Amino acid sequence: MAAAIETKQLTKTYKSKSRNLTVVDKLDLHVEEGEIFGFLGPNGAGKTTTIKMLLSIIEATSGEGYILGKELGDFDVHKLISYVPERPYYYEYMTGLEILKFYGSLFGISDVAHMQNLLERVGLADARNTNKTINQYSKGMQQRIGLAQALLNDPKLLFLDEPTGGLDPIAHREIRDLILGFREEGRTVFISSHELSEVELICDRVAIINHGVIVAQGKLTDLLAGGRVEILVGKLDRGVFSDMKIEDGNIHDTPAGVLFDVPEGSDVNAIIDGARAKGGQVVSIVPRKKRLEDLFVEAVRNK
Amino acid sequence: MKPVIAIAKATVGEAIRRRVLLIILFIAVLLLLVAPLLGVLSARQEQTVLTGFVLGIVQLSSAVIAITLTVYMLPNEVERRTIYTILSKPVQRWQFLIGKYLGAVSALAIMMGLMAVVSVLEFGVFHQDWAKGISLLQAYGMFFVQMSLLASVAICLSTFVAPLVNFFLTGGIYLIGTLGYAFFDSFNKNPNSPALGKGLAFVVSSILPNFASYNVQNPLINPETTIQNPTMYAINAVLYGVFYIMIMLIIGMLMFDRKEV
Ligand SMILES: Nc1ncnc2c1ncn2[C@@H]1O[C@H](COP(=O)(O)OP(=O)(O)OP(=O)(O)O)[C@@H](O)[C@H]1O
Ligand SMILES: [Mg+2]
Repeated sequence: MAAAIETKQLTKTYKSKSRNLTVVDKLDLHVEEGEIFGFLGPNGAGKTTTIKMLLSIIEATSGEGYILGKELGDFDVHKLISYVPERPYYYEYMTGLEILKFYGSLFGISDVAHMQNLLERVGLADARNTNKTINQYSKGMQQRIGLAQALLNDPKLLFLDEPTGGLDPIAHREIRDLILGFREEGRTVFISSHELSEVELICDRVAIINHGVIVAQGKLTDLLAGGRVEILVGKLDRGVFSDMKIEDGNIHDTPAGVLFDVPEGSDVNAIIDGARAKGGQVVSIVPRKKRLEDLFVEAVRNK
Repeated sequence: MKPVIAIAKATVGEAIRRRVLLIILFIAVLLLLVAPLLGVLSARQEQTVLTGFVLGIVQLSSAVIAITLTVYMLPNEVERRTIYTILSKPVQRWQFLIGKYLGAVSALAIMMGLMAVVSVLEFGVFHQDWAKGISLLQAYGMFFVQMSLLASVAICLSTFVAPLVNFFLTGGIYLIGTLGYAFFDSFNKNPNSPALGKGLAFVVSSILPNFASYNVQNPLINPETTIQNPTMYAINAVLYGVFYIMIMLIIGMLMFDRKEV
């Protein structure tokens, strides 16, 4: 599959009189066509700056990048992509339909039926026929109108900067379903976020950025591999197992019994058999999956 | 051209809803309506005084509106992040800038049009002098070119100067360009002026836009000016304005193209 986004050593340095501030540092990103890519990082990590470079809104200081095979700065690419900024804001006096007409006219699109469909698709069917202007829209409605305008040109690639920031759980879920729908239609979605649970649910691959540097990148399933399993055995204490060796495993005493903390994929049966042979009682077996949050905190701390 | 027009339209829509501008406009119309009362104070040449007042009110409020309208236009777009959505579409930066400028000028035309209608009605209804009222339109046409020029200066400066600084800078340029011309002129004609000063005055007056040439109709400011060929004069003034506007916009586009937004 071709790459939807490819960057090589992409760097952005803001120059000021007193000092130079490198906010994105030698970024190598690779986003496949048709996937949902999560771009994660703490506040100020350089996510929005990266997106602005990919959209050619600001110029990279050095390095190169390709969007849908075209070099950054290629004007025609703008017909194939779209963008919803973080905390989007639209001309307040317009109604939802007027917003779509405005953005449509930037592409030369004037099909009102198409716009009505988009409003319905993003869950703004109610607002469609009223004269409600954007300043009367709730945050969730503004985020939705943002997605509607982003779909106007039937984009191949969407950039969503914090698409669920400040939304309630129901709106979260609906936006998530919309994004999953984009993937089903074959679109590539690039999401910047720190809503990890969100990303964990929908992203195929992620990159974690901290202080402008990528600290982890890959398939979510690979990055989250290496979970642990905890086996609690009652009626015994640790001493009984002094001769037992488990690779990368730990055995602790707890008030409820002996706790085996072993890597995912260890021979759990052997441990249980051993414990039972010594008269132990298996209380629980709990798989502890590695969570994106752990990965994130780990990656961000290590730097 | 389509994106330019769409952006211009959206800009007009916003501008005519901006409360500050509406308040200035409201005050201007109010002043226009009470102006006849002031005219009574000087019984002599009542018409002339009234004309001067009306033109002065329209000019001053148009200038304030033109500056207020344009200095915040680009910074607001960046602050509210509306510009990012627009520039992520197939819209070039110069198209954005031109769209904004045309929108500003159109909004200005609407607001000045309203003031023009009020003042024409005033002469027609209160003084039964429709001919006089309608003759004002020519002056308003000149004002409009002047204000378009002023807006182009403000929008050009707004690509690299903070809004508040820009407000006073553009305001200052307007004052010098309006009042200073006469001063530079007499300074240059005075044989006792130092040569260095003359050179400086020449440079300043050639760089700064000449706003004064759009004011000749005001009988209070220019009582003795008579124009030999009004049509030629108007054509010249308009051409000068268009030329200067183009230069301002080209500089603005070049600056805006490099600007980190
Ligand atoms: N125009 C600018 N000039 C100087 N520094 C800037 C500029 N724009 C952004 N920065 C700095 O770059 C860094 C990265 O900012 P960026 O907006 O990309 O972060 P982010 O990852 O999107 O953060 P958040 O999660 O808060 O949105 C910040 O430290 C910010 O202060
Ligand atoms: Mg951000």
